Amino acid sequence: MSRWCRRLTAAATCFTELRVEHRIVEFAGLLRRKGIRVSTAETIDAVEAANLSGLQRRETFKNSLRAAMIKRSGDVAAYDELFELFFSGVGELVKAAGESAASGMTPAEFQELLDDIARLLEGMDPELSDLTRALLMQDSGALEQLLRELRDSGKLPQRPGNYVPPALMRELLGAMGAGDLQEDFDRLLAAAEHGMSEEELEKLKEYLARRSRDLNELLKGMLKLDREQADHKENREQERDRLLEKSFYYLSPSEIKRMREAVSALARKLKNILAIRYKRAKRGRLDVKTTLRHSLEFGGVPFRLSYDRRRRERPQVVILCDVSDSVRNVSRFMLQFVHSLQDIYSKVRSYVFVAEIAEVTQLFKENEIQGAIQRAINGDVVNVYAHSDFGRAFKDFHRDQLEVIDGKTTVIILGDARNNYNAPNDWVLRDIRERARQVIWLNPENASTWGFGDSEMNLYSKHCDIVEECRNLKQLYKIVDILVAA
Amino acid sequence: MSSSARSYASVDAVQNLLAEQKYICDHNIATVVYLATQLGKPVLVEGPAGVGKTELAKVVASSLNIPLIRMQCYEGIDEAKALYEWEYAKQLLYTQILKDKISEVTQGAATLSEAIDRITAQDDVFFSRRFILPRPLLQAIQSDDGVVLLIDEIDKADAEFEAFLLEILSDFQVTVPEIGTIEAKRIPIVVLTSNNAREMSDALKRRCLHLYIDFPSPDLELEILILKVPEAGPALMEDVISLVQNLRKLDLKKQPSISETLDWTRALVIMNADSLDHEIVKETLSSIAKYEGDLRKAEKELEAFVQQRRAKADEPVVPAADGGGDLLH
Repeated sequence: MSRWCRRLTAAATCFTELRVEHRIVEFAGLLRRKGIRVSTAETIDAVEAANLSGLQRRETFKNSLRAAMIKRSGDVAAYDELFELFFSGVGELVKAAGESAASGMTPAEFQELLDDIARLLEGMDPELSDLTRALLMQDSGALEQLLRELRDSGKLPQRPGNYVPPALMRELLGAMGAGDLQEDFDRLLAAAEHGMSEEELEKLKEYLARRSRDLNELLKGMLKLDREQADHKENREQERDRLLEKSFYYLSPSEIKRMREAVSALARKLKNILAIRYKRAKRGRLDVKTTLRHSLEFGGVPFRLSYDRRRRERPQVVILCDVSDSVRNVSRFMLQFVHSLQDIYSKVRSYVFVAEIAEVTQLFKENEIQGAIQRAINGDVVNVYAHSDFGRAFKDFHRDQLEVIDGKTTVIILGDARNNYNAPNDWVLRDIRERARQVIWLNPENASTWGFGDSEMNLYSKHCDIVEECRNLKQLYKIVDILVAA
Repeated sequence: MSSSARSYASVDAVQNLLAEQKYICDHNIATVVYLATQLGKPVLVEGPAGVGKTELAKVVASSLNIPLIRMQCYEGIDEAKALYEWEYAKQLLYTQILKDKISEVTQGAATLSEAIDRITAQDDVFFSRRFILPRPLLQAIQSDDGVVLLIDEIDKADAEFEAFLLEILSDFQVTVPEIGTIEAKRIPIVVLTSNNAREMSDALKRRCLHLYIDFPSPDLELEILILKVPEAGPALMEDVISLVQNLRKLDLKKQPSISETLDWTRALVIMNADSLDHEIVKETLSSIAKYEGDLRKAEKELEAFVQQRRAKADEPVVPAADGGGDLLH
């Protein structure tokens, strides 16, 4: 290999590496925009990993980037999707166009045609544009490069429809450094007329027409891809924000599923926070009794000090959940949340009510949480088709269950306080509050409607320590803060 | 920048070498292992229990012919248990034995402070490497030929311990105040495993390559079964795998893992069952379903499976070894 040639190869390698780095950095940016956290250090790791494992096998490349950049198993699905979108789009398009180029010919015939065209191209003066040459010679590398440059140049118009008007097409071709494609083709044909048989010429003409169509398809494909990427971005981000603010009343089944994940993530996070807080407070006050006992070993000198190991505060929770149809989704998430926290809250006792009230604690202990919730709110436990009667439910609770509440208990009541003009029995709440550590009322209705119509909220809220609106995930987050502080 | 005594040449080499150790892995696992050894970065392995996370570290060590140092994490593990401890008892013993020598040193000292000065001049004798008790982390760092350091179930350790570990994993050096800084001669291959009892901190995740091992695909599981329980017949293996894969789709309290699939198959082989259409099979189900509720669901699934099989097969299935049932009584 000549020296010149070696240097050229080195330069080419360097060039591809640079491009790969560039692409990976871009890809990291895309991941971040989708809400996957990727640090700079991780991006550097990804580049190193890609250089090490090589680009020959797509699967290896994909796995390498994933190992370096994706650290949460929950993000893997999103990563896979984005990887396909980002790394294959243009390449796939070019590949499809390449297959179309040789259609209707045997490989030998195709090769012959390419040789003819190569000869013709060599004789052209001035040279035809890069795009024309790449297109006619079916040079996938060069073609891909040109398309990517076009995309990176930002000249692709945003959000066009499926139809691409000829004017736009010409503009795009111009941006890719091609003058008039048709002019190039005409010049080529003129040159071909010397020394080519009628039949060969016909074949060439046909090939040119096909390539012209292929290019059209390629550009259309590019525009579509670009649009998909843009759409994808908006969808995901909007979706997250929307979910955060969306009222529990109007969730679709798929949103309920995602909300469930969000709630359990929230519970996990809370557990971590509490664990850290507990650790920090591990050493308590001086334990005089033990210190004195130890001092006997040293002749009465308090040589070794002992401290209280502070006991973990495990508050008890009693939750009364309205499961009438109007608040069903909220109850669903609240029950899930509280029960995911059972290792923090030593005792959780749950009651559901509409008009009658029933305990569901045992149901939760024996069943998988989602199934249990489903049963609790589907009418297996209490009649959910009755009219809400908070007063009756409270009174029954007061009669049968009041002793479950003591000074360590936080009572959470979830409901819209729409009592259908029955007796409100708010004295029950007063009694509960006297016994309990605190009473929290969460109302899934908009605060501005409290107290109107059959809502007894104004009456009930007098006997609560905390009253909060709980209509969406964002508010649930806020309530969690309150619970943690408690 | 090879970081081990023998290193892997390529991703495929990893797959082959691990297969030699009877560990079948997919391309993804091999890629991550290759990158970890080449980049000198720790790997955080996550996934459900029993998919071979710990096993992976073991076979990496044996395939590279280097020792494995294992550190099992638990709630309350601390530096003294993980890094090093002074051998207090040994120090005490030596001072007793060397009493005469010590009085020799202090002999002729005019004042108490002079005597203390003389002893102070000698105290590094007692705080030398001779009296240090290396725990797994220090052992790994001190090793000459590279090791695989397995930090098992890191999710069980506390958040503070995780922070302390970060320091070690980024620098691979340990400072013992009395001795100085000990640097790793060779960067160990570090494998951390987690069952996701709690979410690891972002800082730790950032420093590690991440590997998620899920339950294997049917094909992969069959390959594993052929390798590990070759005595089972092909029909039995296929039955077992399709049933286990079905069970994993159910909502079980604990899903059957690979190791449980292997145990169950071994149990079935011992019981001379050559297909799942058998009375004994029901009684061995407890080796894949570990909770009462799960067991009931598994039994239901088994019945449905057997019925389906019977409906498919035209000729009635003849139970083979009838004597197997007697073994139970």
